[in-house]
Amino acid sequence: MKKLLFTVLMGMSVSSFAMSANDIIDKANQASYYKGNDGSAVVSMDIKDSQGRSRNRKFTILRKNVSGQNQKFYVYFERPSDVKKTAFLVHKNTQKDDDRWMYLPSLDLVKRIASGDKRTSFVGSTFFYEDVSGRNPQEDNFELVDTTDDYYVIKGTPKKADTVEFSSYKTWIHKTTFLPIKMSYLDKSGKEYRTYSADKVETVGGFPTVVQATMSDLGSGGKTTISYSKVKYNVGLPEDVFTERYLKTPPQEWLK
Amino acid sequence: MFKWVQKLILWAIEKPRQAMRYNLITAGILGALVVLPLVFSFIPLNKLTIDTDPENMLSTHEEVRVFHNEMRKEFALYDILVVGVVDKKDGVFTPDTLKKVHELTRYAQGLEGVISKEVMAPSTVDKITNAGQGIVNFSWLMDTPPETSENAKKIYQDAKRIPFLNGTIVSEDGKALALYVPLKSKDISYKIAKLLQDKADTIHLKGVHITGLPVAQDRFGTEMFVQMAISAPLAMLFIFLLMWFFFKSTRFVSSAMIIAGLSVVVTVGLLVVTGNTVHIMSSMIPIFIIPIAVLDAVHVLSDFFDTYKKHKTRKEAVQHVMHTLMKPMLYTSITTIVGFLSLAFTPIPPVQVFGIFVALGVFFAWISTMTFLPAYLMQMSEKTLESFSKIPSHKKESGLARMLKAFGSWTVRHRWIVIFMSLILLVGAVFGMMRIRVNDNPVKWFAEGHELRIADKELNARFSGTYMAYLTFKKEITVNDTQAFLVEAGFPKEILTEMREEKDLSSDLINKAYDYADSQDDSDAWGARIEIAEKRMQIFKDPESLKAIERLQKSLEKSDYVGKSSSLGDIVKTVHRDLYGKEEAFVIPGRSEKIAETLLMYQNSHRPDDLWHFVSPDYTRTAVFLQLKSGDNADMKKVVEAVDAFVKKDPVLKTFDSKWFGMTYINVVWQDKMVTGMTEAFLGSFLIVLLLMTILFRSFAWGALAMLPLTITIMGIYGLIGWIGKDYDMPIAVLSSLSLGLAVDYAIHFLERAREGVRVTKGKWCESVPTLFGEPARAIFRNVIVVSVGFTPLLFAPLVPYQTVGLFISAILFFAGAVSLGILPAVLDLFKKWIFTEPKDKGMTLLTKISIVLITLLIILENFMF
Repeated sequence: MKKLLFTVLMGMSVSSFAMSANDIIDKANQASYYKGNDGSAVVSMDIKDSQGRSRNRKFTILRKNVSGQNQKFYVYFERPSDVKKTAFLVHKNTQKDDDRWMYLPSLDLVKRIASGDKRTSFVGSTFFYEDVSGRNPQEDNFELVDTTDDYYVIKGTPKKADTVEFSSYKTWIHKTTFLPIKMSYLDKSGKEYRTYSADKVETVGGFPTVVQATMSDLGSGGKTTISYSKVKYNVGLPEDVFTERYLKTPPQEWLK
Repeated sequence: MFKWVQKLILWAIEKPRQAMRYNLITAGILGALVVLPLVFSFIPLNKLTIDTDPENMLSTHEEVRVFHNEMRKEFALYDILVVGVVDKKDGVFTPDTLKKVHELTRYAQGLEGVISKEVMAPSTVDKITNAGQGIVNFSWLMDTPPETSENAKKIYQDAKRIPFLNGTIVSEDGKALALYVPLKSKDISYKIAKLLQDKADTIHLKGVHITGLPVAQDRFGTEMFVQMAISAPLAMLFIFLLMWFFFKSTRFVSSAMIIAGLSVVVTVGLLVVTGNTVHIMSSMIPIFIIPIAVLDAVHVLSDFFDTYKKHKTRKEAVQHVMHTLMKPMLYTSITTIVGFLSLAFTPIPPVQVFGIFVALGVFFAWISTMTFLPAYLMQMSEKTLESFSKIPSHKKESGLARMLKAFGSWTVRHRWIVIFMSLILLVGAVFGMMRIRVNDNPVKWFAEGHELRIADKELNARFSGTYMAYLTFKKEITVNDTQAFLVEAGFPKEILTEMREEKDLSSDLINKAYDYADSQDDSDAWGARIEIAEKRMQIFKDPESLKAIERLQKSLEKSDYVGKSSSLGDIVKTVHRDLYGKEEAFVIPGRSEKIAETLLMYQNSHRPDDLWHFVSPDYTRTAVFLQLKSGDNADMKKVVEAVDAFVKKDPVLKTFDSKWFGMTYINVVWQDKMVTGMTEAFLGSFLIVLLLMTILFRSFAWGALAMLPLTITIMGIYGLIGWIGKDYDMPIAVLSSLSLGLAVDYAIHFLERAREGVRVTKGKWCESVPTLFGEPARAIFRNVIVVSVGFTPLLFAPLVPYQTVGLFISAILFFAGAVSLGILPAVLDLFKKWIFTEPKDKGMTLLTKISIVLITLLIILENFMF
């Protein structure tokens, strides 16, 4: 009886709450990038090229949600040792271009990075800036192309095709966690050239969290695996941490 | 040996139909073995495959080649098509041209076999700009085609600021730009080039020039086939017409053509069936076999033509001719075979194959001449043979005969003048030979005016050079070194030995050390120690290393051959400049951390992986790119010498292991091998031929005489090459072997007949001269004309190696003929007292025996020495 009720409810949830592609994307965006009010994690990046040669990056990432869908990020480098203390600051704005700063300690420079194009490599990895901070859903048109047992398969097509290097992409969004588990990008000639996969998901502080993911560049044969440790949510990061002032003097208490 | 040959000839004369059938069937089978697998691909036989890769000039195990391929992999470098767009009037930086270039780039990126990500074009490369107010910007040089001409000009100005793009993507004067299209394999380069050209034509993009070594090579392969199909048959046709001029009978003359054809079909058939590729060298096999085969046949035909009437029956005539010529023809074939077989000992695989198969071809030509030709003559109708007597040139004292006789007596009478002139010629030749410049360049295999030559010229005039050479510097850092660095930085040795595993690389050990550091309370202090070690490992993040390379690049700027060089330091300098936003910052910063930060910045671009074309991720190996304006090996060689000298003197660079790679360099390596290899092979075979001659003539003096035309011919030819300034390239090098075979041919025939004549006149040389200048001289003369003029069609081939071969085959035959008929009699006359007094018992003199031993020793010595 219990089982029957469950089945009926499940059936109802699918039929009566049939979501639009945009709804799914919004939920996925929330689940991926907006967990809690803020968060911090230690990130290890293993950048492997087609020859199997690997390079490592290690940094701490701090995030705080601010008004609307806007967010602020602070990235602090530990490794490679010769770029230690290098820091990034990103103010993600949904209504206008992002603001980005980079602090290079040995050169003693704080640079604003022009933000026109967010699809450039993130510190030499196969991830783009946009993959780290999240692509603004308003830039694409979405279409639900398939629903499998576990996933919603959504196809995204850029509204301004000229500004990006892909022609479309598909994302497999998990039905219960709403985390994108797989993504596949097609280039201008319609060939798949870039894939993302969430390799490991753990629940941290009540939030299902991707703790390991890989971005493969099929063109070059390179791939980057990103692993998150010491993941924390709702840690109470003050907003002034995300200001230019803190680039030169890192907020040590929040980085440990 | 002779008995066996005699039997063979006799069989052909007795059973002409059978002899002819055997010859034709052999050729038929081999021909079918080549053609059938091409038509029916299911037949499991080796297919005719074309190989135009100059890399294959070296064995696959050759060290430089192995290194070249390792480095190409390590630095992710590919074979590249260079697509230049030139507009001399308006320049290319106009909205219209850029829009078309953008479209062409998109098209190129979508082509199968193109490495889309690595394509370099205005729309696929980044510019870094300092936008003021502390803003630094990485953006596409041209994300969308500009609408206005100001914006189009802006693209040109932006690109010019970036050392990597200036002179590479955009020309100094803004009149040209270039796309670089990397390919997965070079054997599709001609196809891709054609597709790009077609696309450019459809979108009306004008002034497109496509070049690059892979196109040249692939194109050569395509045209090589055309040459094989046109030049060789055309030469045959010419030879046929010339022979017809002498003999006036189609059927009679056809026999020589059939023999040449048979030999070529059988040889090429064997080449393909045995799985050898048709390479630039082996494509010339037919061109080499044809003259040799015709040469043999013309000797027989000429003699038969001249003496047919003297004999009662045709059989007797054929028998007589074959008997007279059997010995010299065997000798000449053996010497030619030796000459070409000697190429099998050169260190260049395609030349080995070439030598072996031409030798085989000569052997087939000889067999056919011994069997097919007499059989063919036996089968000819009486009517054709009867008609000989009606031909004017056949009448007893024809113009040719009179002329040759007069020439014969002149040269004997004025022997001193002849010898004196020859000596002057030889001295001149020696000076010419000293002027020889060894050089080759695959692009120059195409004749002047060929579209590839024009493209090459246009692009190298506007850009910094389309020929790439790469210099690598490496400092080996072993895992032991890493451990030592860590220990010196204060990391306890015991801890390291404990965590280190057998197969650990330097990077593994460092990672483990960091893991250890992270687990400690004072992890920062531990980390600092590792940082010190890490810094010492990353040789090419050290400013001292980069500054040393910068010094080398500065010195290259003075070179006439290097248009531009690029290195990791250039990336660092460019980013450094734009981070500070001032020109003075175009320097390599003084600390490795600063370098690391500029590189981290660089990696935030659209093409972060471009970094790894210049340095390995562990920073222990770096590559310097040299763009040369000329693909001449001689020029590359000068660059290599200058760079190596600089590196040896530089206090920093000399501590690195420096090595070259890239096709432009590979070409130099095989060329060096070719020159030394050919010289050795030639010396060796010269000695072997001398030994054979001495044994065959049973006299050292006669043996040495037989070598005279050959020596003078070779010296004359190579002296001429030196004087006219023709580069000593691959075809020229292999021609020495051909001259060995061809030049000695005439000498053998002439000397054998001279000896025969003196025997007939009972030792009276003077009386035998007119006879000698009768039919033997006529045979040689006809031969010279037929073969040397027959090869003139090659002069009109669009491929230079074919022109060279055509020209020099003619020259060799002309020289050899002139020396045999002009100088040999003079020398014979000079030494007649000693030379014609043969020992009565037909044995060898002591001098001859000693010389045989000495020459044999020399041959052995020569083989050991090299």
